Amino acid sequence: MNSYFVKRTGRAILTIWLVMTLTFGMIRLIPGGPIEMLRARLIRQGVDPSRIDAIVQTYKQDPTPVYVEYYEYVTSLLSGNMGQSFYYQEPVSALIVDALPWTVFVMVTATILLFVIAILLGALMAYHEGTAFDTAASSASILLSSIPFYVLAIGFVVVLSYQFGLFPARYRMSPGVEPGFTVQFLSNAIYHAALPIASVVLTQAGLQALAMRGNSIQVLGEDFVRVARLRGLSDRRIAVRYVGRNAILPMYTGFLTLIGFNIGGSVILEQVFTYPGIGYYMYQALINRDYALMMGVFLIITTTLVVSVYIADLTYGLIDPRVQSGGQSEAY
Amino acid sequence: MTQSHDQHTEHIAVDDPIIEVRDASVTYDEGTSYVLDGVSLDLGRGEILGVVGESGSGKSMLASALLDAVPDPGLLSGTIEYHPDSGAATDILELDTEDLRALRWEEISMVFQGAMSSFNPTMSLRKHFVETLEAHDEDVEAGMDRAHELLEDLYLEPDRVLSSYPHELSGGMQQRALIALSLVLEPEVLVMDEPTAALDLLMQRSILLLLDDLKEKYDLTMLFITHDLPLVAALADRMAIMYAFRLIEIGQTEEIINHAAHPYTRALLNSTPNLDAPLEEMRPIEGQSPAPINMPDGCAYHPRCPLAEDQCRTEVPDFHIVAGDHGSACFNWRESYDEIELVHLDDGERAIPEGDRQ
Repeated sequence: MNSYFVKRTGRAILTIWLVMTLTFGMIRLIPGGPIEMLRARLIRQGVDPSRIDAIVQTYKQDPTPVYVEYYEYVTSLLSGNMGQSFYYQEPVSALIVDALPWTVFVMVTATILLFVIAILLGALMAYHEGTAFDTAASSASILLSSIPFYVLAIGFVVVLSYQFGLFPARYRMSPGVEPGFTVQFLSNAIYHAALPIASVVLTQAGLQALAMRGNSIQVLGEDFVRVARLRGLSDRRIAVRYVGRNAILPMYTGFLTLIGFNIGGSVILEQVFTYPGIGYYMYQALINRDYALMMGVFLIITTTLVVSVYIADLTYGLIDPRVQSGGQSEAY
Repeated sequence: MTQSHDQHTEHIAVDDPIIEVRDASVTYDEGTSYVLDGVSLDLGRGEILGVVGESGSGKSMLASALLDAVPDPGLLSGTIEYHPDSGAATDILELDTEDLRALRWEEISMVFQGAMSSFNPTMSLRKHFVETLEAHDEDVEAGMDRAHELLEDLYLEPDRVLSSYPHELSGGMQQRALIALSLVLEPEVLVMDEPTAALDLLMQRSILLLLDDLKEKYDLTMLFITHDLPLVAALADRMAIMYAFRLIEIGQTEEIINHAAHPYTRALLNSTPNLDAPLEEMRPIEGQSPAPINMPDGCAYHPRCPLAEDQCRTEVPDFHIVAGDHGSACFNWRESYDEIELVHLDDGERAIPEGDRQ
């Protein structure tokens, strides 16, 4: 009945499989590896070369064919086993389960917040097109959008955290706070997430506001808005049902993909704020050559992006009647 | 021939006008140039008036003016009096926001060119009807019954159309649904701005026939705006010709088609493409119509008019009464009969020399 749904699902699964396979292949192409690292360390420690060979020999496994390794890699991934983190000495999946909710919390909150601000501001600018307010808001939007979020983040840490001590500069919560549905925990979590969220919102809202402004101006010029006014509909109804809805629709896909992109962007953001989410672990894994952790986080980040695009594809038809599951024949 | 016997007037009146437009002008630059220039005309109760003009002649502006809905930041001046069936006449341009909101769609309704863009693409047609009824505090149930009947009158399946989204309907269906939407509050006057422009010929004809039926059934007065002269000639009781933002000729359809007295109207009639006529007989009008910022002095048509003389270059002509309620804004309307032959008339119809009429 729904070939569109099947097609999109198939495409999402194919993309994730490709990412898995590429990760597997690329890690294999990286020169060196844990054994080379071990040998180098032993040489630095001045161990006798013949002794080194013997130690290395104990670690060396019988060479297995690539396809067997690939098969084992895929099957263990499917059973949720991402291997052991070499650096943290913990299963990668446990680290990710611990870190992912925090990253999702920060990035989803930030993305929702920035879209709400952008939609309101953009619509306001469109309704006041050409006024001083429009010019000022557009200029501010362009200015803020041209600042990279990590530059603003560093600025926040330096000024607001170190100079004035208004916000914490690191960690997800203060020491001693127990996670749970308590006011203390929630407010503490928000307090720690405020600066990361603010740096994303401030640097990304502008571009979306300009997009909303452009969409709204276009919709305001449409005949159906003029006809709606002549039909005597209230300004509020026209703003919400006519202008708002038609201007926001094209931004919906961008919204969901931006969530995915921002979760990928957490690598730098969480490093700046020393915020232990998956981005933070990704960075630690890179520094420490923790391949298993690196692969795990990489997979999670790409999967999030693929899933958000997938959700956007599937749900767009629900909010826009013109896109009703592609393959369906025209009603008339 | 001298001008002294000539009767002229500011406008051609009708007996029982439902709308009286007097000196309606629209400017976008505070009076330096006009996109509707001193138009005065009466719309008789129960008639179909066809307004014909080429693109950019101000005819859509006239339609918008009737609902005081000139696109911003246009300035509309003059008076537009609406005479309801009972009660006192009101000047539409003097109404406050709330009264104007009530007048539009309840008394004077409008069908725009391009039905495809007149519906909100993300809303079903039923919602369009319901919200219109709600906005005018009408009983929704009774209103929807009317909508069903209207859609049926227009040969649409009401339930199917109402539950559809605009994109699910063909152009002709959307146009008919839009006509139904414009009539759902039972207005007295229906202004149609090129309602058939985007449709194929067969659909144009069938919509015109439906309009004629609707007009009878719902006792409507219609102002039908088009650039397609032969199309409206089949439908309209009277015709008004616009050129360069002014009204230049008005009269009974029959009169205009056979005895047009303005050189422009005659040239327009001659330039109408006809499938039967050989290509050599096609007579396009030389030159082009003026832009609002570059209007010639005097009669706007004089640069293209073969009969133009000094007076035409300095004075804007009033309406000269040609016959009864046939008026032509031309100093030389008598000469135009002889100078510009109408190609569509065969010899039989021209037995009486046109110049000798009256």
